[in-house]
Amino acid sequence: MDRLLRQLSQLAITVFGIVTVTFFLVRMIPGDPAQYMLGDYATEEALATLRAQLGLDQPVYVQYGLYVLRAVTGDFGSSVVTGRPALEEILFSLPDSAILAFAGLAVAVVIGIPLGILTAERQGSWSDMLIMIVALFGISFPVFWLGLASVLLFSQELKWFPALGASSGGGVLTHLHHLVLPAGVLGISVAAYITRLTRSAMLEVLGQDCIRVARAMGVPERRVVWRLALKNALVPILAIVGVTFAWSLGSAILIEVVFSRPGIGSMILKAVSARDYQLVQAGVLVLAVAVVLVNSLLDLAYGLVDPRLSTR
Amino acid sequence: MDGINRKERAGRIERSGVNRRQFGTLLAAGALVAGSGWPLPASAAPPVLRVRIGSDIGNLDPARIFQIENQTVATQIFNGLVKYDEATNAIVPDLATGWEISGDGTVYSFALRGGVTWHKGFGPFTSDDVKFSFERVLDPQTGSSYSGQLASIKSIETPSPDRVVITLKEPNSGFLHKVSAFNQGWIVSRKALGEIGDKAFALNPIGTGPFVFQNWAPGREVKLSANKDYFAGAPKVEEVQFRVIKDETAAAIALENGEVDIFFGLQQPEVIQRLKGGGLVTVLDRDANHTINLVLNTSIKPLGDVRVRQAIYHAINRKALIDGFFKGTKTEASGFLTSSFQEFTDQVPLFPYDPAKAKALLKEAGVGSFSLDLVAPGANPYDKIVVPIASDLAAVGIDAKIKVLERGAYLQARNKGTVPTCVTGVVGAPDPDSPILSLFAKSSFPPGLNTAHYEGIEDMIAAARQAQGDAARKEVYGKIQAKVMGDVPVIPLYADHLFIAHTKKVSGFVQNSLFTMSAYPVSLLEA
Repeated sequence: MDRLLRQLSQLAITVFGIVTVTFFLVRMIPGDPAQYMLGDYATEEALATLRAQLGLDQPVYVQYGLYVLRAVTGDFGSSVVTGRPALEEILFSLPDSAILAFAGLAVAVVIGIPLGILTAERQGSWSDMLIMIVALFGISFPVFWLGLASVLLFSQELKWFPALGASSGGGVLTHLHHLVLPAGVLGISVAAYITRLTRSAMLEVLGQDCIRVARAMGVPERRVVWRLALKNALVPILAIVGVTFAWSLGSAILIEVVFSRPGIGSMILKAVSARDYQLVQAGVLVLAVAVVLVNSLLDLAYGLVDPRLSTR
Repeated sequence: MDGINRKERAGRIERSGVNRRQFGTLLAAGALVAGSGWPLPASAAPPVLRVRIGSDIGNLDPARIFQIENQTVATQIFNGLVKYDEATNAIVPDLATGWEISGDGTVYSFALRGGVTWHKGFGPFTSDDVKFSFERVLDPQTGSSYSGQLASIKSIETPSPDRVVITLKEPNSGFLHKVSAFNQGWIVSRKALGEIGDKAFALNPIGTGPFVFQNWAPGREVKLSANKDYFAGAPKVEEVQFRVIKDETAAAIALENGEVDIFFGLQQPEVIQRLKGGGLVTVLDRDANHTINLVLNTSIKPLGDVRVRQAIYHAINRKALIDGFFKGTKTEASGFLTSSFQEFTDQVPLFPYDPAKAKALLKEAGVGSFSLDLVAPGANPYDKIVVPIASDLAAVGIDAKIKVLERGAYLQARNKGTVPTCVTGVVGAPDPDSPILSLFAKSSFPPGLNTAHYEGIEDMIAAARQAQGDAARKEVYGKIQAKVMGDVPVIPLYADHLFIAHTKKVSGFVQNSLFTMSAYPVSLLEA
């Protein structure tokens, strides 16, 4: 119970910090939302009227105070471009982003963890070298480059998958078909990280005394690696997955742009260029909460993996 | 760990074969997916037209509309009293079937089409809606950017539901342009606005056009359905989907793969060349209604001297820019209007590329080497075209410094009016008043678009309003073009070209010069 409360208060503090930083950060960018909305031909009177309607004529600290007061009641303001509640708009595109991030992470875990274990297992062998080199490439190539290359290969040349990462209507299969490329690209780039980090975590555990003892006692190697070592390495591996979740959400923004996929990333990008303050704030907030939540869940999961941690 | 141990372990794994099996399974699954072909799904039975747009929509309210994507979607939903013929730009009837203009040019009486109804059951269209629409744009409370366009209106009377009479403060020979189906010219429903509300209307628009707004999925698409009761007959497709695809390369692949039918907003020279070369789709192009100009701020030294401005004009190799950077996808402009305007003339002073003459003019003006900021928005192609321009200017001794600003910062800097140069194009209807007033009238001094602070044609602007008849208009607008181009407050870098590509399935499409498109005449052939 204490643990849960501590997690919740951490969440609250993090969220408050993020909201504050974002609030002032977006207001530091030059440019005027009213100008953006009314376009090149806007008259000075029209701009002034709109600024007043949006509350932008107030000093920034007053705007901040009002924002925090409203945010406490769950009101995160309305998008200045569309006039719709900002949180509602962001939550509308949350499923798209969540599906992409989780699908990408699933691909990354399925590829990355076994490869990490395998390479730790065979440290120094040619397969270890090869996989590590490939992983290095995976980390070095920007995700948008991988995305464009995969569109050219799998969509234009081979015509296996659509170039657009989102379908309009259609059944579950159609949606999955559209998801394969974006999730695959995201997964592969994140998998490279997970492989490398899993490998180091496993190597550390494999060098521990308990493993030596197990080996000395003649425990089969398969059991040593997949049961004893993996179980001990799971905590750092889970931590890695938590960290890469934030990273995969970040990459998802680029993936969304390359594959013309709707989502929080592309929405925030659009909102920043439109100086849509409320939308940027709501978007960053939702992303931050998602990352903190996933990490909190993983924190709780550590307890299940390693009982020593739950008693702390 | 020692070598023997490692080898031993490796041997055990080999024997266990677990990893090989895992790899094998993965490979087999991959091959299965690949081998089965998993074909791209064919388009569904009811004819749905899918159009690529490069950016999401945000506001479809004609009083506040802005940006080509919004305007393109609105084109399907709304009508005006009159409209531009898509092919010729001549003004033709739309919601008005005819009009009479009083002898002194101040009273416009429009006969309205009968039996026109608003979308979604908002009742019949009447003259009161026309009155409401224009008065709404004029009302300062609305905060419309287009109130200036209708500023010549003195009063609007509605003697009957099918007649509207508009009286002007003074003759305005270009008035029909102002009430053409575009931006402030689009007519909205009084009843719908009253019930839906001013704010919600922006993304829940009610019009009389060939397509009815259905829904908008942010970042994804806008769906419109056919208006079966459209006064000119039901459209030939059941639904139009505007799909947001930002990247042009991705859009080109989607078009060639048949994932979209029309590629709207095609601009990148490489993508245009690629689509043309591929031969899988049809690429249309047409002169746009706008030029892209380098604006020279005459209130800043030494740009106040006309010889310096002319020298800069001579120094820029515009042909190299068009052939090299744009790969011939733009055309050279003689002035700030393009040939798609009825009032266009090429009888204007020209300043062809001539670095020697540029140097001589600078010398004559007594200006040695000076430094000049080239200010451009950080958007393709403006952030790139300033590079060759800077090198051209360097060749004649002008130390040009490139200042690329993010769009918001750029607008802010330009609005202040203190930037020495900027890049501006006035995109819109083929109404010559639009670029002339925006770029060169005193009333458009910053924060307006007259960043040049030019005031050489104030008397001519008044004369243009009075000119009745096509010949008189052509004459006075010809004089304006000649005067401005001699004074060089702006250098027309190029005349823009509009490109649209569509698949071979699309039939009946007509490209306009407004930077919008109409889905109404389009039908889809069986693949």
